Amino acid sequence: MSMKKRAVIFKGMSVIAVAMMLVSLFGACKKEAFDSALTREFEIQSTANGATYNIKVGLPADYNPEVEKYASVYVLDGEENFDFVSNKCREISDKLAVANVVVISIGYGKDRSIDYTPTEVSSVTGGGPQFLNFIETQLIPVVEENISVDTARSSRIILGHSYGGLFGSYAFTTNNKLFGNYILLSPSLWFDNLISLQFEKDNRGENKDRAQLVFMGIGETENSGRMQAPFEAFYQILRDNYTHIKLEKNIEANLGHMGSKDPNIVKGLEYYFQNR
Amino acid sequence: MNSLKYFFLLISLLSGTYGFAQKGISAPANKYSTIRQLTIEPGIGIHTNFGTDFLVTNLVQWNPRKHLSIASHTSFNINNITQRYFNGIKTDYNYSINQKFGIGTTFYAKRWSHTFLLMAGAKYTTYRETLDDERFDKVSTTISTFSPDYGLMYSLKKEWKKYFFTYRMYVPLYPWPIKGSDILYVEGNIDNIALEVGIGVKIM
Repeated sequence: MSMKKRAVIFKGMSVIAVAMMLVSLFGACKKEAFDSALTREFEIQSTANGATYNIKVGLPADYNPEVEKYASVYVLDGEENFDFVSNKCREISDKLAVANVVVISIGYGKDRSIDYTPTEVSSVTGGGPQFLNFIETQLIPVVEENISVDTARSSRIILGHSYGGLFGSYAFTTNNKLFGNYILLSPSLWFDNLISLQFEKDNRGENKDRAQLVFMGIGETENSGRMQAPFEAFYQILRDNYTHIKLEKNIEANLGHMGSKDPNIVKGLEYYFQNR
Repeated sequence: MNSLKYFFLLISLLSGTYGFAQKGISAPANKYSTIRQLTIEPGIGIHTNFGTDFLVTNLVQWNPRKHLSIASHTSFNINNITQRYFNGIKTDYNYSINQKFGIGTTFYAKRWSHTFLLMAGAKYTTYRETLDDERFDKVSTTISTFSPDYGLMYSLKKEWKKYFFTYRMYVPLYPWPIKGSDILYVEGNIDNIALEVGIGVKIM
């Protein structure tokens, strides 16, 4: 085969390879947006930390404030997760033929590593108490005043991934009366020398008899030496000590920290809709 | 931002190998020494997850024809080797074994060759972590899992008499896109790109 012919073949193969990658990448980037007619958006400035949070609310397709009070799902990392969670809630509630929920996603005010971590171990951590205070004293009252949601604790859900999962566990352990349902995905329970496990231990007496639903999800290949053991420990503590808990865990096969997020969101929501 | 990051990383990797290959093509075609050859190429490497995994690998390559290459790649990976105790969490063990077979093509220069392979096989991963902090009960968790393993391999050889220096890069394509079309699924693949160097020998 001549040099020229070989070069042409090689270039052809390269072009095909690049084209395949581009098609795959652009295909992968495409995300289905939630129906804008069912979306409300507003901002709230936190009095606790001064940051302004963009709040998106996804309403059920048959939203009828006159006759129905809906459960509310508070979603962390809202800018990334709003569309996906809202669409999945609609799909799952349709499939199960049950009432849908109102999705409230919380955008970034401060850096997520500040807002979602409960203690200060560096200059970019430790804003969790202020952020939880903002949710409790500002966001939830605004939502419950303006949108037709059920105000019972048992109708509030918090969903978070990674540091967001850590924040969910912080809400569970230190302010358990706020949410009745927790979807904790790949939670960073290793943070600050297992501080979440310490919070759980300190507040177990107060929390263990409350009715609640907890779904814990993680990726099977999260093998960085910090995720799996505290995840399992937290699960076992809840299983063995909390008498009125509906508890489920899922280890998503062959997926890592980010890859397991969406599958675990789906499984967590399914578990909630089937067991609430 | 993630999409852009992955896109530029892939393009950079591709450009790198393309550049090598172009260099190979420009050399005289009739000066390379052996076309039909069997090589064994042991090596060591890392994954691109910040270099925390250590790989001991071997590639056996046979070229029955000038531009046809058949290969077997074996890799034993000691994962997360640099941090076995972190915040009260102990890694008891953490390794994986990959075995893949592949087919592809080789381009030759005077003392260089560039091989592109489509590889497919299986991967076994097992690890055990223990919560080892006196404040809490000891809890261990063990994960052992088989998974498919397929992807693209590039192998560069620089000849030195009977021996040669070899550099390999393997880009895994599993679990994406089989597990889902979201860009986030690529995270596992990007973390597990293998970069290897070794010394090879021509058997025949």
